[in-house]
Amino acid sequence: MNPNAIVQAEQVTKIYDDGAVPVQALRGVSLTIEPGEFTVIAGPSGSGKTTLLNLLGALDVPTDGRVFFEGQDLAMLSRRERARLRLYKIGFVFQAYNLIPVLTALENVEFVLLLQGVPERERRRRALEVLEQLGIGELAHKRPHEMSGGQQQRVAVARAVVSRPRLVLADEPTANLDSTTGVRLLDLMEQLNREQGVTFVFSSHDPQVIERGRRLLWLRDGRIEREERK
Amino acid sequence: MRFRSVIGLARVAWRNLWRNRRRTLIVLSSVVVGVFVLVLFDTLNTGMVEQMLDNQLRLHIGHVQIHRRGYHANPVVERFFRNADALRQQVAAAPEVRAVAPRVLVHGLLSSAYNNGGVQLVGVAPEAESLVTFIAEQLVAGRYLAAEDPEVLIGERLARKLEVRLGDRVVAMAARPDGQIGSEVFRVVGLFRTVSADFDRTMAFIPIDRARAMLGLPPDAAHELVVLLDDVRQADALKTRLQAGLPDTLEVLTYRDVVPLLVMQRDLYAEMMYLIYLIIGVALIFGIINAMLMAVMERLPEFGVLRALGMSEGRLFLLVSLESLLIGLLGTAIGWALSLPVYAYLARYGLDLAVFSEALAAFGVGSVIYPRLTLRIVWNAWLTIPLVAWLGALYPAWRALHVEPIEAMRAV
Ligand SMILES: Nc1ncnc2c1ncn2[C@@H]1O[C@H](COP(=O)(O)OP(=O)(O)OP(=O)(O)O)[C@@H](O)[C@H]1O
Ligand SMILES: [Mg+2]
Repeated sequence: MNPNAIVQAEQVTKIYDDGAVPVQALRGVSLTIEPGEFTVIAGPSGSGKTTLLNLLGALDVPTDGRVFFEGQDLAMLSRRERARLRLYKIGFVFQAYNLIPVLTALENVEFVLLLQGVPERERRRRALEVLEQLGIGELAHKRPHEMSGGQQQRVAVARAVVSRPRLVLADEPTANLDSTTGVRLLDLMEQLNREQGVTFVFSSHDPQVIERGRRLLWLRDGRIEREERK
Repeated sequence: MRFRSVIGLARVAWRNLWRNRRRTLIVLSSVVVGVFVLVLFDTLNTGMVEQMLDNQLRLHIGHVQIHRRGYHANPVVERFFRNADALRQQVAAAPEVRAVAPRVLVHGLLSSAYNNGGVQLVGVAPEAESLVTFIAEQLVAGRYLAAEDPEVLIGERLARKLEVRLGDRVVAMAARPDGQIGSEVFRVVGLFRTVSADFDRTMAFIPIDRARAMLGLPPDAAHELVVLLDDVRQADALKTRLQAGLPDTLEVLTYRDVVPLLVMQRDLYAEMMYLIYLIIGVALIFGIINAMLMAVMERLPEFGVLRALGMSEGRLFLLVSLESLLIGLLGTAIGWALSLPVYAYLARYGLDLAVFSEALAAFGVGSVIYPRLTLRIVWNAWLTIPLVAWLGALYPAWRALHVEPIEAMRAV
């Protein structure tokens, strides 16, 4: 096992057995994510990108094989322990439904810190700081419905990094954005990666986004078909 | 769970409430109406039940009684005490005491030319007695006792049994402390009718001095001092104080000691009110379950995100139940705010239930009811309704925390 790894998947398979026909979404995937990576998981629709990210993010457990987070076998953790792990170690940016609609951008970013039990003053200070850093301080008091899709995703990125997680996972973060806005979101993520060493793993099937990854994992039919590093 | 995160979640819950303003307002108003009805119902019921007891006490028992020790356990004629007048003045000096009346009591036989019956002979000081009890106001024929003459008041029913009318003579007989039989002739001057048929069949009131003479008791003897207070709730305190100041040969009792059954009956009536709580609680809970379930179901993807972010099941449960609890608390506050002015009005002017006055009279209550607010009611309403709201959230909250994050977010 790689002692440096944040997360490591070994011969992971995932079979969804809840429909009429069992679907094999992953067929033996192994990969290691190390600190400082800026990795994209690419592949056509249905290739298993979301499934893989869910496993790396302790949202789900594999049917076969193992996933280790900081050396800890996720299969050994209870639901509660996995929730705790996500809360303290992993940031998420989803494609949609990211923000709590009744909360302002600032409060959404604060929410993770609230769950962590950070005192109110410090919550506020840290959340504001992150929003300023990401250049969206002026959105602080806006509710999600008052923001554009791109602005919402930026706030989601702010929320994902505010507690300085070990790993940020983003499942098609630009899928609902037009390409210029999508590119600007990637600029933001890249800047965080470069300046603060935040580790990112994101998925996409958009060539413009994929080319931004420093490490590319091509997924097809639940297998890693090829890997590139730049 | 740290307190500050509860506050933070409560803030989020509060905002969530107003996402669907209409639905929240509907549930909220049902809670407000529930609390409003409960408070008025319970205060009126409590007022009525206390009035009932008080009326029963004012018929004969009074609020506090003083006897020679042992008389209450075994009321025999030789257990009288002396210095009744001095004692009466001493008791009357207590600030919460409204009136005090002495009595001489003995079981005896009342005979007319045609029939006879066992009675409780009550020797009363007419003036003092009329200040303590209602008996003077229960007359349906004739007049009340004068102080001196050999006169008797009996119930209508007893009169019918003895086949006597106003002005007829009856003979009273009773065992004296000296072992002889005392007897005297009395003229029937008044007939009474109370809410109690039993009372009307067995009680006979005569002047206290005549009773003493007939029984051969000293002129300052009595079996009982009956005390009426400004407020029945002061009875226990007065008992303790009097008992401490009086010689040990005397025993002070409150109405609780004298008629525990009546007190139990009152408590039973008061407890029937919990049936109303139950009905209102059940009526409210279905509306709450329904509204909370809708609120939860339309937010499942959002809950999925929250779980994905690492929110624990406990906190998600708390978030949903706080939403319901907040409706419960807010509704209770508004319900109280609305009911208090109505309560204040009724407490002042009373609720006139003239339509039901006959039924009420049978319970020993006048037709005007005054509500009574007690700490118990405050507690009950503040506890039950928010609790009901919280219970109504249990099932919806349970649904929310069984959200699988990846499922919920897939169901776009
Ligand atoms: N919960 C599930 N139940 C059943 N089948 C599922 C489930 N989730 C995913 N699948 C199936 O597993 C396969 C992989 O899905 P996955 O969502 O991982 O692909 P993806 O690469 O993220 O696709 P997309 O680009 O469309 O998001 C697909 O065939 C999908 O239909
Ligand atoms: Mg996907």
